[in-house]
Amino acid sequence: MAATHAPARIGSLWHQRMQTLKEYEVVRDGNIFGAGFSNSVVFSSEYDQARQQLGHLISSYKERSFETVFSGNEVSNECGTCFSLTTSHPLHPPAFNFDHYLDTIMRDLTLVRGIGRSTEKRLRGRGYQTLYDLMGHPKYRSQVQPVIDCMRSEDSHDIMDLIGKRHAKSHTLVLGAAGFHELNDYAFLDIETMGLFSRPIILFGIGVIENGALNVYQYLLRDIAEEAAALYETIQHLSGERKALVTFNGKAFDLPYINDRLGYYGMSTQASTRIPHFDVLHFSRRRWRDQFSSLRLTALEKEILHIHREDDIPGQMVPEFYETYQRTGNCGPLVPIVEHNRQDIISLALLFFHLMGESYGC
Amino acid sequence: MYLYPTKALSNDQLTTLERMADYTGISAKPAIYDGDTPQSRRAAIRENSRIIISSPHEMHHVLSWHMKWRPLFANLRYIVIDEAHRYRGVFGSHIAMLIRRLSRLCLHYGSRPQFILSTATLANPVEFSCRLTGHPFELVDSNGSPHGRKHFVLYNPFYDGVGERSTHQETKDLLVSCVKNDLQTLCFTGSRKMAELVTLWAREDARRSSAKLADAICTYRAGYLPEDRRAIEIRLKDGTMKGVVSTNALELGIDIGSLDAVIISGYPGTMMSTWQQAGRAGRKGDVSLALLVAQANPLDQYFMNHPEQFFSRSNEHAIVDTENPYIVSGHLLCAAAELPLREDEDRVFFGDSFSQLLPELKSTDLIRKTARGWVYSGRGRAAELVSLGGVPGESFRIMCHGRVLETMDRAHAYREAHKGAILLHQGEMFLVKEMDLETHIVRVTEADVDYYTQPLKEVDLAIIETLETREVNGVKCAFGVVEVTEQYTGYKIKRGDTILGVESLSLPPLTFRTKAFWLVPSSNTEQNILKENLDFAGGLHGAEHAIIALMPLHVMCDRWDVGGLSSSAYGENGEPVIFIYDGYEGGIGLAEKAYELLPDLFATAHALVRDCRCEDGCPSCIYSPKCGNDNQPLDKIATTLILEELCQESVIAESSMDTASSKTASS
Repeated sequence: MAATHAPARIGSLWHQRMQTLKEYEVVRDGNIFGAGFSNSVVFSSEYDQARQQLGHLISSYKERSFETVFSGNEVSNECGTCFSLTTSHPLHPPAFNFDHYLDTIMRDLTLVRGIGRSTEKRLRGRGYQTLYDLMGHPKYRSQVQPVIDCMRSEDSHDIMDLIGKRHAKSHTLVLGAAGFHELNDYAFLDIETMGLFSRPIILFGIGVIENGALNVYQYLLRDIAEEAAALYETIQHLSGERKALVTFNGKAFDLPYINDRLGYYGMSTQASTRIPHFDVLHFSRRRWRDQFSSLRLTALEKEILHIHREDDIPGQMVPEFYETYQRTGNCGPLVPIVEHNRQDIISLALLFFHLMGESYGC
Repeated sequence: MYLYPTKALSNDQLTTLERMADYTGISAKPAIYDGDTPQSRRAAIRENSRIIISSPHEMHHVLSWHMKWRPLFANLRYIVIDEAHRYRGVFGSHIAMLIRRLSRLCLHYGSRPQFILSTATLANPVEFSCRLTGHPFELVDSNGSPHGRKHFVLYNPFYDGVGERSTHQETKDLLVSCVKNDLQTLCFTGSRKMAELVTLWAREDARRSSAKLADAICTYRAGYLPEDRRAIEIRLKDGTMKGVVSTNALELGIDIGSLDAVIISGYPGTMMSTWQQAGRAGRKGDVSLALLVAQANPLDQYFMNHPEQFFSRSNEHAIVDTENPYIVSGHLLCAAAELPLREDEDRVFFGDSFSQLLPELKSTDLIRKTARGWVYSGRGRAAELVSLGGVPGESFRIMCHGRVLETMDRAHAYREAHKGAILLHQGEMFLVKEMDLETHIVRVTEADVDYYTQPLKEVDLAIIETLETREVNGVKCAFGVVEVTEQYTGYKIKRGDTILGVESLSLPPLTFRTKAFWLVPSSNTEQNILKENLDFAGGLHGAEHAIIALMPLHVMCDRWDVGGLSSSAYGENGEPVIFIYDGYEGGIGLAEKAYELLPDLFATAHALVRDCRCEDGCPSCIYSPKCGNDNQPLDKIATTLILEELCQESVIAESSMDTASSKTASS
C-alpha cells in the first residue's frame, strides 16, 4: 500500500480543488448575450488563443531570468522592496475651454435644491439667468449660496458630489469638474489581481502626465511578499493636495480592492475617499450605451480610438497566467500581463481625454 | 451576534428580539444578516444594528470582508451560539475553526467577545463548548421549567425475538389508542414517508369509530407553509387536533405547546434527541406519557433489555475535532486570506499542527511567506474552496431530472450511490441510473421497488503510527493513525433476507488516513474458542459489529461514521485484531473519544450480545446493516467469549429476563 505522508497530500488536495474553481466561463464566439450581461465570460477563441500563447511563452522564456526580461528597478520603502517598471508614451490632451464649462454651470439653475426643469424655465422667464442672479431671489437666495461657495472652493470632489446629486453621477458636468485640475494632477490607475477580492494584487499600474508625456509606472510582484511595498508606492502616487484619480470601473473594483488589501496588511495609509475619482466606465456608459453592445475598455478602444491589441490576454485569465509564473518561476506569462495593464492605462487616459474633448474641447 | 444553524430559528429569534427591543425601548435594531439579505440593506445593518443574527455559512463567506465589519467587530461584546449541539462531528469541527477565525478578527480589531452557548443535554457540555470555541466555560444547567410526573414506556415489538407486527404498525396502534383515550399525542417517525404512512393507517383505523376522530389526526413536516403550520398550531391549542405525526422536523420551528403523550417510533439515534422529543409532553407540569417503540436493531434492543441503562445513562459525548489536518488546513487558507497568518500569534487559534501545515500549503503555492506573515496566494476564493459540510475531497452531486437532491463525498457516493443502487433520500427511494466518475454526477430516478441493495467491500488497513497504548482487563488496546483502503467490489440485491442477485462493480479503491483504536484479544481466548470448535474469525467479526453498534451510545455519532476491520491473523505478527476507525479522512475524534471510554464501551457491547435472545446472531445484536462482507462469517458464542474477556469486571448487571444467553455463555 502506498504510504504517502498525510500532509503531503494536503497541499495537492487543495491545489486540485482550486483547479475546479473557475471565475469566468468560456462562451461561444459572438455570444453577445453572454458577454453583455456579465464580466465573467471569455470568448472561446480568446480563451484558446491565450492558452496557446501561454504554452509559447513558457517555451520561449525558459532560460531567461527576470532581470533580462523586465528592465526596471528595485524600490524600497518602509513596507519592503518591490519592482518598478517605467515607460513613457506621447500624449496630446485636447485643450479645454474651462470658461465655457464654468459658464454652463453658472447658468444651470437646477443645481439649486428645490429647482427642477420647469421652475428653471419659469425663473429664466422672469430674468434669473445665472446662479448669481438667484442671490437676489427671495426664496432661493439661501439655497444658492452653498452652491456658489462650492464652485468657488474649486474642490472638484465636492463639486462632483454636488452636481452628481442634482443630476446623475455620470453626467458630463461631473466629468467636466476634471477641468479644475492641472494635467499632472491626474493619476490613471489600473490593477491586475489574482481574482475577485480577498486575494493579492499582482500588478499595480499608474499613469502620470509628466513633461507632456504619459509616464506609466508599474509595480509588478516578483513574489507575493512584495505586495505591501507595491501598495505603499501606489498610494504615494495618489496622495497630494490636488490629485485626481481616473479609472475604468475603479469605483466598484480597483479602489475598494486596494483599500481591502491595505486593511489586510493592517497598513494605516488608506487610499483617500476624498480624492476626486473619475470613473470613465460610468461616463462611457452614458455616452455609448445605445451605440455599442460591449462597453469593455478593449471594445471601446477599438471603436473609438482605433487601437488594436496584439497578443493580448483576457483580463479574467490573468490569475492563471500569474499562477503559472508562481509555480514554474518562468516569467514568460508575466509579459502579456504587463503589456495588457500598460495598454489599459494608455487607453484609459486616451478615452478620458476623448470624452473631455468631446464635451469641452475648443 | 447570534449564530443560528437554520433560517427558521433565525426568524423566530428575530421576532423575539424585536419584541424585546420594542418593549424595553432599547434601540438594538436586531436584524438578520444572511444569504437572503439584500445587498442594499447590508451596509445599514452592519452600521446600525446592535444585534446581528447570522448563520455559520454566512460568516464563513463574509469574514474576508472584515474591513467592512470593522466597527462591529471592534465593539462585539457577545457571541451567542444557540443549538450548539448541532455543531458536532465533521460539521462541528468546521464550525470550531470558523469560530476561531471570527475570534481572531475580533482580536485584530481589539475586542474579545464573550461566548454564550446553549445546548441540549450532553454528557460533556463544558468540554464540548471549550473545544468548539477555544474558551473555558461555566455550566448553567438548572432546569426552571415546571414538569410533572411522566410515565415512560419502553415498548418492544420484538421482545420474543420475532416481532409479528412491524414497528410502524405498532406505532399506529399506539397512536390510535392514545387518541381514542383523548390524549393529545405527538408521534415521531424516522422518515417523512413513514410519518405519512402512519397517519394514513391511523386515520383508516380511527374512521371505523368516527370520522371526526379520523380528522383529528394529521401529519406535520418541514416545508409546510406558515399558514398550514399555524392551522395545525391553532387546532392543537383548541383541542380539535388529537394526533400529529412528524419527523424530527418538529424538534424546532413549530410551537405546539404542551401535549399529553409522545410516541417515539424507533430510537432517534441519540439520548439527546430522545429526551428532547419526550420533553414535548407534559411541559405544564401535568402527568404525561412517553412511549419508545423499539426497532430490531442493536441500539434499540440494548435499551429494551437494559431499561436501567436507558434511565440512568447520561447523554452522549458530543465530539468536535480541532486537529483534523484536512479541516484545519482549509480554514488556514481562509484565515490567511483574511489576515496574514503569523506563526507565533495565531498558534493559539489553530493548534499544534499549524506550523506543520503551513509549508505544506506553501508547496503548492496556496500561501506565501512574507515579512508580514503567511499570505494567501491562490487564485480562487479561499472560502469557496472550503465547504463546511464535509472533509475536503471530491463531492458527487446526486441529480434527479436535473435537480440536485444532495451532494455526497466520494466514499459516501461509492457506498450508497453506485450504479444500480437503491438510494434512500429523506425516506424516499431512488434508483441510481449512472455514476459518472469524471464529472462527479450521479443520475437517479424515483423508484418504487420492494428490494434494496447492499454494497460489498473489501477493507485493507495499515497502521501508520501508534500514538497510545493501554490495557483493558489485560487485553492490549491501542490508538493511532491508520491508512484504510476500501474497495467496493459489487452489490447484492435483496428482498428481506432473500438474495435476488449479485452484481459486480468496478470502482477504483479509496484510500484515506484516519484515526483508529484497535485491540488484540489474548491467545488464551483464542485457544478457548478454538477448543470449543467455534469460529474465531466469526467471533472477532461479531465483536467488531457489536462495538460499532454501541459507539453511538457513548460518542454522539451515527454508526455510519465509523468503520471496522477484524482479522484473525493481522500483519507480521499474525495476531488477531479488531480495528474501529473514523470513516473520514484525517479522523474526526470519534475513535479518539471512544478510546478513553473503552471499558464502558466493551461492557455495553458485551451486555448487548449476551442478553439478545437470538440463537446465532441477529439484526438486534451482531448483524450489521452496513457490513461489506454481508455479515459473513459471524459466530455469536465466540463473539460473547471475546467480549467477555474485555469486561471481566463488568459493571452491567445481567439482565433478569435473560436465560438463553447465559446458557450460550457457559456452553
